[in-house]
This record gives sequence, structure tokens and C-alpha cells, in this order.
Amino acid sequence: MDIQVRKEKNATIVAVTGKMDAVTAPDYEQQLRRLMDEGEKTFVNDFSGLVYISSAGLRSILATAKALKAVEGRLLFSGVTGPVKDVFEISGFGSLFQLHDSPDTALKSVG
Amino acid sequence: MSGGREIPARGRSLSREGVTAILRNRGIAFKLILLCCASSAFIFLVIFGYTYRFSRDTIEKDTRERAENLARNAVSRIETILNAVENVPEGMASALENCSLTREEMLRMLRASVAENPEVYGAILAFEPHALGRKTRYFAPYFHKHDGAILATDPYAPAHYDWEWYQTPKRLRKAVWSEPYFDTGFGKIIMSTYSVPLYRTAGGVDRFRGVVTADISLEQLSDIVSSIRILHSGFGILISKKGTVVTHPDKSLIMTGTIFDLARKRGDPRLADLGRRMVAGESGFAPFPILAAGKQSWVYYAPIPSSSWSLAVIFPEDELAEDIIALHRVVIVLGCAGLLLLFLAVILIARSITKPLRAMATATEAIADGDLDVELPPATSRDEVGKLTESFRSMKLSLKDHIRQAAEAAAERERINGELAIARDIQMNILPTEFPPAPPRDRYDLRAFIEPAKEVGGDFYDFFPIDEDRLCFVVADVSGKGVPAALFMAVSMTLLKATARQGLQPEEIFARVNDELSRENRVNMFVTVFCGILDTRTGEVVFANAGHNHPLVLRKTGAVSFIKTVNGLALGVMEDAPYRRETLRLEPGESLFLYTDGVTEAMNPADVLFGDDRLREELQTLAGGGPDSIATAIMEQVKEFASGAPQSDDITVMAVRYKGV
Repeated sequence: MDIQVRKEKNATIVAVTGKMDAVTAPDYEQQLRRLMDEGEKTFVNDFSGLVYISSAGLRSILATAKALKAVEGRLLFSGVTGPVKDVFEISGFGSLFQLHDSPDTALKSVG
Repeated sequence: MSGGREIPARGRSLSREGVTAILRNRGIAFKLILLCCASSAFIFLVIFGYTYRFSRDTIEKDTRERAENLARNAVSRIETILNAVENVPEGMASALENCSLTREEMLRMLRASVAENPEVYGAILAFEPHALGRKTRYFAPYFHKHDGAILATDPYAPAHYDWEWYQTPKRLRKAVWSEPYFDTGFGKIIMSTYSVPLYRTAGGVDRFRGVVTADISLEQLSDIVSSIRILHSGFGILISKKGTVVTHPDKSLIMTGTIFDLARKRGDPRLADLGRRMVAGESGFAPFPILAAGKQSWVYYAPIPSSSWSLAVIFPEDELAEDIIALHRVVIVLGCAGLLLLFLAVILIARSITKPLRAMATATEAIADGDLDVELPPATSRDEVGKLTESFRSMKLSLKDHIRQAAEAAAERERINGELAIARDIQMNILPTEFPPAPPRDRYDLRAFIEPAKEVGGDFYDFFPIDEDRLCFVVADVSGKGVPAALFMAVSMTLLKATARQGLQPEEIFARVNDELSRENRVNMFVTVFCGILDTRTGEVVFANAGHNHPLVLRKTGAVSFIKTVNGLALGVMEDAPYRRETLRLEPGESLFLYTDGVTEAMNPADVLFGDDRLREELQTLAGGGPDSIATAIMEQVKEFASGAPQSDDITVMAVRYKGV
């Protein structure tokens, strides 16, 4: 798993590529925790490069979303496709979050 | 043939390896001694070689100069004598040509010249026949020394004119030294004669009248030449202008022949060449080809100008080196003594260095054998060995510490493993194992398997009757694995069972359990659940799906398809999440297949997923079978597919078949 962070005007774009499983999910969680500690509140997860996500990955997303909710932040998603989209739909996580086609549309929705 | 050539090559490389191996296997002391002594010996040899070469060159140069000086000195002494002798007849010739002397006066003058000149052995005044008048045919008076007296011959005795000393100056019309000769007439000695021609000028023409001479005994010259001493056996020789050996330490060679005869006799062209250069009046150094005792020698030769003779000084080469050898014998003894001292010093130093090292080696071998209580030798100094000892001491302590910690960790691990084994037993005991469980068992059949990835897992299944006619069945997957998942699984399973038994619909069960799990869910764990309730009277199944994989239905027609359930959120994620109830009907003989993602996400060594399609196709081939054969076959298929690749997730399968009333 590889994480690229890009700060835009009104949100931080977190591009995750590779596999998000029990081994790599804690990295994702820690990285976003650090960004939150730096004061970032709005995140767009760009999952267009993510090929696999396990339940441990969903758990890290859930933990991050809850932490953001506590500070009135937001967690948006873009590029959720293929097997990752299947997992989102089956687990019901897809209904929890805003899923966008691209980071740009996600940024626009943040306003 | 080629094999024959290879053998020595292999032998060489083996011996080189052998030498390296010997060096490698020896102790530090041996290497130190070898290196110190070898390098010192090398330095000593270089210095020795240089001084030997340098002093040899110097001594050689000195010897050459000495030989040259000796030769020049002898030449000049011989020259002085010869000049003194030459003056005698030249003075008389001058007197005879310029004054008109009577015969008496001539005899007196001749006698005086012998008596008053110690160098002169004898003198003769020989006139041409009738030169002094018609009456006097011969006039050739001769005086010579004999036992301290001056003897005279009869001046009027018939004389011979064929002597060289007479003919040569007459022919050449100038004064000359004769070749040495053995005087058979009076002297009975080897002599050489200086002859000056006499002329009388008449009518503008010089007419030859006779010669006046002086003899020199070669004994005198021999004394001078034999006084040349150089090194031990160096000596001088004198040869005439024709190459005749005039003086030589070996008397048998004197006057018996020329140097050219000698060269011919010995067949040595180099000797002849040397003779030619000497006769030509050259001077110089040359290797002397022959010498008594057959030693390689050197010769310095220089001409005696007045007589055109040549003097040679010969000295053997090896005597040149004698002084150097004596000097260097001392140097070698001193050098060897020095090397021996150095050798002893190095042994002492090496011993003192390696003694603590050897003690260390013994101690560390004991450590290597596992004896960490061995006492290390005391560090007596602050040098490298002392530091090494200190390092070993601390290494020993930290090794002891590490081993203790490792032992404790192993014990701890064993304890945890033991506890995990028990936990696994407990977890397996929670899961129902009686298939099918309860009446009405004749209306349905059910089989489930579970295979945790670790000792304990987060998957679970459950089935239990709600009332006489209805069976509730559940397949669930807790996020994560291991002990945390197992604990969350136990809680979820208990809640689900307790809630389901109240006779609620699946979506109501989910809503309640979800609220319970979501409240104060600090660990953010969740569980995906498929829950179905089969009415055994009708074959109707009501079900809800909380984030779980879509189950499959195996129809009587042989069709196998995923049930596209409307999935709610996994339980434990968020309170008040909505869940929807759905319904489907099973005809007698039709089955449902439930599973967790451990099946579809099982991976083979090439990282290929088992996948939904493969699952559906496998089930299609099993459509006619009972739940037992279906569940068993899928578990085997997954195992076979993974072909040894490590199992990353818990695997659970459940097959339920409705048999009808």
C-alpha cells in the first residue's frame, strides 16, 4: 500500500494505492490521524488506485470517520470502483459515505 | 598429455594454498615473528647488498688507482735510469763529433763513463773498419763492470758488426735501445744496449763512422719491477717493444719468448690482443685472461716512452674482494646477532600480547559452548586486549540478560499458546456441532464448517429453532482476526441468539443487536451478518443482510445464482442503521449456500483469488448433493485451490436444504 497526500484549498486528498488489509490499514489510520492533528478536517480518499480492501481496512476507515465526526470534519471518497466498490456495497459502507467519481467532483461538493 | 601438463599446475596452486593455510592457521605470535624477522632480514639484506656493492666499487676503484700509481711510479723510475744511461753515450757521441780526440783520450773517456755511472753496466765505442785511418782496421774498445772492477777488452781485436746494437742505429740513423739480449761475449747477463750513431760531416754529407753505446743490466730493472707489490699476489712484468718478456716473477719466462708466443702456446687471442696494445704504447685497464692458479685477474699497462717498452701490473680479482669480505663477515655476524635479538624481543612481545588473548580464547570457547558463568581473565591494561576483555565482559552479561529474556518470552509465549488453545476449544464449543440440530429435522438438512486462520477467529455460524416450525440460521464475519475478533464474535453471537429467540424478524434482530454493538464501540469493530429464518412448513425464507456476502441459492432446475440482497450496514458501525427484510421461497430439494469472504478471497500462491465465479461454478457441479457433501466439497476445493499458500482469513461455509413437509 502506498499513500500520497495532496493538500488542496478546502480539503486534503489522500490517494491510496495497492492493498489495504490488516497489515497496511494501520498505516492509513495513523497517517490520517497525524493530518488531523495538524488541523486538517476535510479529507477526500482517492481510491482509484486501490485494488483490494479487507474488513480491517473498513475498520480503519470507520475509526477515522468517527474521529472526524467528533471534530466536525468530513470524509469523502472518490474512485471507489471494482472489488473495492463491491466491498463497500456489500458491507453497507457505501451508504455511510459520499462516493464521487473523481477528487475534483468531491472537492466541488465540499464547496 | 593434457592431464600430464595439468598435474604440476595443480601441484603449484595446492602448495600456494598450503602456504596460505599454514599462515592462516598459525597464531598471532608466529605471524608477528615471521613478519618482523622477514622484513628485518629483508631490510638488512638490502643495506648489506648496497654497502657491499658500494664498498666493492670503492675498493676496486682504489685498487685500480693504486695499480695505476704503482705502474706510473715504476715507469718513471725505469725512465730515470734509462735516461741516465742514454745520457752517457749521447755525451760521448757529442764529444767525439765535436772534438778531435786521441785514441788514449777516447779510451779514458769510455772507461770513465762506465766507472762513474752506476746505472751503466758496460760501454763500447765501435768504429767502422778503417774509420780511424788506413793502418787501423778495427777499433772497438769495451769496458764493463765485473765484481766491482772495470774490465777492458782489447780495442784492436777483430770485431763483429752484425750485432743488433750496431746495425739498427746505423740503418735507422738514430739512437735506439736494442731488444734485450743475453750477452754471450763478456757480461753473461741479460742486457739492453743504447746505441748512438757517430757521424763525420764532410762536404755537406754526414758519413757514418760507428756507434757509441751503453749497456744496462736488466737485473736492475727487474728489481724495480719486482718491487711492485699489489694486494697479495699482484706483480709487475716488463715487455720489450717486440713483446719479449723482460721481467717476470716466473724466471722461466724471461727472455724465452714474446707475449705473442705465450698467447699462441696457450691459444688465447685476448692475451695476444693485450700484447699488441702494450707494444703499440697504449695504456689502460683490461681483464687479464690468464694468471697462475687460474684466477680471474686485472691488468694495468703503461708504456715506457724512451725505450718503447711496456710495463704491466697484474692483480687477481678475488683479492680485491678480500677486504670487503672481511668487513662484511663482521657485518653479517652483527646482522645475524641483531636478528636473533629482534627474534627474541618479538617472541617476548608476541607472548605478552597473545597470553591474555589466549586466555580470552579459552574463556570465549566456554561461552560459545553455553557456559555464560565462565570467569573472563582480568583486564590488566587499557590497551586493545583490555578493551576487548571489557567488551566480552559486557557481551557476556548482555547475552545472559538476553537469554533470560528469551527464556521468559518463550515461557510467556507457551503460556499464551496454551491459553489460545483453550480459547480455541471454547470458541469451537460455542458453535453448534449437532447437524441438523433440532426438530423438525426431517424437513430440512444443514451442514456448516469453520476454519479459523489463527488459533481463534472472528467468523461464526449459528442455527437454532425459534419455535416448532422455524429455524434461524446465521453466518457472520467480525472485522479483523485473532483474539480481539474472537471476543467480539462471542459477544455478537450471544446477542444475536438471545435476540432471535424472542421471535423477532431478521431486520428487527439486526436493529437491536446493531444498537447494542454500536453503543460505546470504542474499538470500532463490526460484524457482517447474514441471518435467515426458514419456515419448514412452506419453505419460505425471510432474511436480512447486514453487510455480508451475497448467499447463493441452488434451485431444483440446477440453476445456481447469487441472491442480490439489499445490504444494510454491518452491525456495530453506527446506531440506528436501517435494515430491510427480504423473502424467498425454497422448493423441497432446493438449498441455500452461505459463506464468509475467507472463501471467495482465498488466494493461491500466484495471488489469484478464488472468486465469486469459481464458487458459483463449483456449486453448480454440486447442485444435486446434500448440504454435507456441498459444504465438505467447497472446503476441500478452497484448500486445494490455495495449494499451500498461507490462509489469511477465517473460512466459513454453511449449506441449508429444504426437504419439504
